[in-house]
Amino acid sequence: MSSATTAKPKKTVQKQTAVKGPTNVLIVGVGGQGVIMVSKILARLSQLQGLQVKQSEVHGMAKRGGSVFSHIRFGEEVWSPTIPMGEADVVLGLEWAEGLRWLRYLKPGVGTFISDTKRIVPPFSCRDRRHDARHGYAHHTIAEIVAQVPSAYAPDATGMATELGNERVANTILLGLLSTVMDFPVESWREVLAEFVPPKTLDTNLKAFEAGRAWTKQDHKPLVDDAATQAAPEPLLKREVKLEITESWCKSCDICVKMCPERCLALNDHQIVELVKPEACTGCRVCEWLCPDFAIAVHVSTVPINTISAEAAGEVQA
Amino acid sequence: MSKLALNLKSLQKAGEKSDHKFEIRDYLRLDLFPHFLCPGCGHGIALRALLWAIHDLDIELDQLAVVSGIGCSGRLSAYIDANTFHTTHGRPIAFATGLKLARPDLHVVVITGDGDCLAIGGNHLIHAARRNLDITCIMLNNEVYGMTGGQVSPTTSLDRYTTTTPLGNQEPGFDACALAKGAGATFVGREVTLQTTALKNLMQEGLSHDGFSFIEVISDCTEIYGRKNELGSSPEMVLSQKRSILPKFDGTAVDKPFRAGNWDTGVLVREDRPEYYKAYRKHCHKVLGTAAVKK
Repeated sequence: MSSATTAKPKKTVQKQTAVKGPTNVLIVGVGGQGVIMVSKILARLSQLQGLQVKQSEVHGMAKRGGSVFSHIRFGEEVWSPTIPMGEADVVLGLEWAEGLRWLRYLKPGVGTFISDTKRIVPPFSCRDRRHDARHGYAHHTIAEIVAQVPSAYAPDATGMATELGNERVANTILLGLLSTVMDFPVESWREVLAEFVPPKTLDTNLKAFEAGRAWTKQDHKPLVDDAATQAAPEPLLKREVKLEITESWCKSCDICVKMCPERCLALNDHQIVELVKPEACTGCRVCEWLCPDFAIAVHVSTVPINTISAEAAGEVQA
Repeated sequence: MSKLALNLKSLQKAGEKSDHKFEIRDYLRLDLFPHFLCPGCGHGIALRALLWAIHDLDIELDQLAVVSGIGCSGRLSAYIDANTFHTTHGRPIAFATGLKLARPDLHVVVITGDGDCLAIGGNHLIHAARRNLDITCIMLNNEVYGMTGGQVSPTTSLDRYTTTTPLGNQEPGFDACALAKGAGATFVGREVTLQTTALKNLMQEGLSHDGFSFIEVISDCTEIYGRKNELGSSPEMVLSQKRSILPKFDGTAVDKPFRAGNWDTGVLVREDRPEYYKAYRKHCHKVLGTAAVKK
């Protein structure tokens, strides 16, 4: 490289990248994983290369277990801050289900899909609080997804980060992976990374960055992690809950009715407690524990799933 | 197997384990039921926690002696199908002391109320705590003399209305745990009835502690105290317990004799001091000679 180019790196890079229209990167994840951090690094990096950058994000859902996403568009000229559906060159998922949620934003046929296989099951997918209930988390296997996308990387970044000693550098590992599919010089990545991460964690982050780069070199086919890909198992056992209410002991104090998390108890016309929604009862025993009169006894039995009546079995399948 | 599946399995296992073969009816004198307590009274919940703790510790009912005094709490011993004493007002700890010294093989539990324990039997409490005899004293604190019609008790909070304080109580309420600690109890804990499992665990620790253990249970008197002070219905009173506690980590003790505001809950004191019966036997062996001391 001539001295002229080192003095003015902007032009060189502009030539190198040679973008027509903006490059679109969509970074998604769950609150607290570092989505914003990754997008900041990428935006700063593009700025340093003399490109126009527009970034748009939704954040603040971290405490609600919600999804966080960040649109980054950079190029010689960028007009709109958000990426239209089906236009993203890269979708970077820091969490598996979030990656899948935004998959349709990927440019069909050419886009690159990078996603951690880490599964963070959100509370909302566990709304059915019965013990045998299946959660509503994405049941697709990694192999299924990878087959649909021409260029997909699904490392177990969180696992790798844990091996490095800090689970939180998972995003840097993915950043390293991202650096292999982008055209920016590696040195700039490192510099910008050093600018943004806390000084104490710089060493680990640089190691993580290299680990991410090395992962692609090791094996260009996405690794399939058995433990993470396995869909939620069908329950083999079912808990059957029976509420035994001793009517003559009930003093209609109303504690169980008001305390039941599923609201499945009520006082009847005689002011005696009654199970009005047996299907909602999870057998959590709160009513039993808080009944001062010992009028409620919860009997929980675990029965193999194939011994339940046909009707109940149909319900489970549905 | 995925992590989730493992979790599900362990949950099921835990469920089956504590999902417990604990049937409270095995521990009750069923012919006395339904019990005499008012609707929504927290004492019933405390009784369940005690029996549950006894179940989890595998204590045989024959090996259990429950002593109680007078008051709403005093009636609880009658419902337990074990060796039970319903003694005179304020004296359950004195009875229990004699019982434990005569039959050290028994697990002796005292169920007492706030008036029974702190007013009429206040002296017995402090000396039992000082002696450190292996007794578990469970004080059910509902801040009022419920059975006799709602008179002010040593633990009634400031400005509360009772039949004897119609204009509002102006005596500061006792912090029973601070008292027990000051008198030298080696295990002091406090819990609310709302947290039944925590209460059970606390009782379990108190029962297995070697020495005098004092457990204060914050209970609700809904019919008399709650009604007079407009504290709401039974569920509202139970739920309000959650707002009035400050759970503490093991060993962080209270040091205020009078309670102001929130209750510290959890294990407040845990000390290691020679247990009285063992120390006494040792002394007898030393003074009288081993041959002279009965087994």
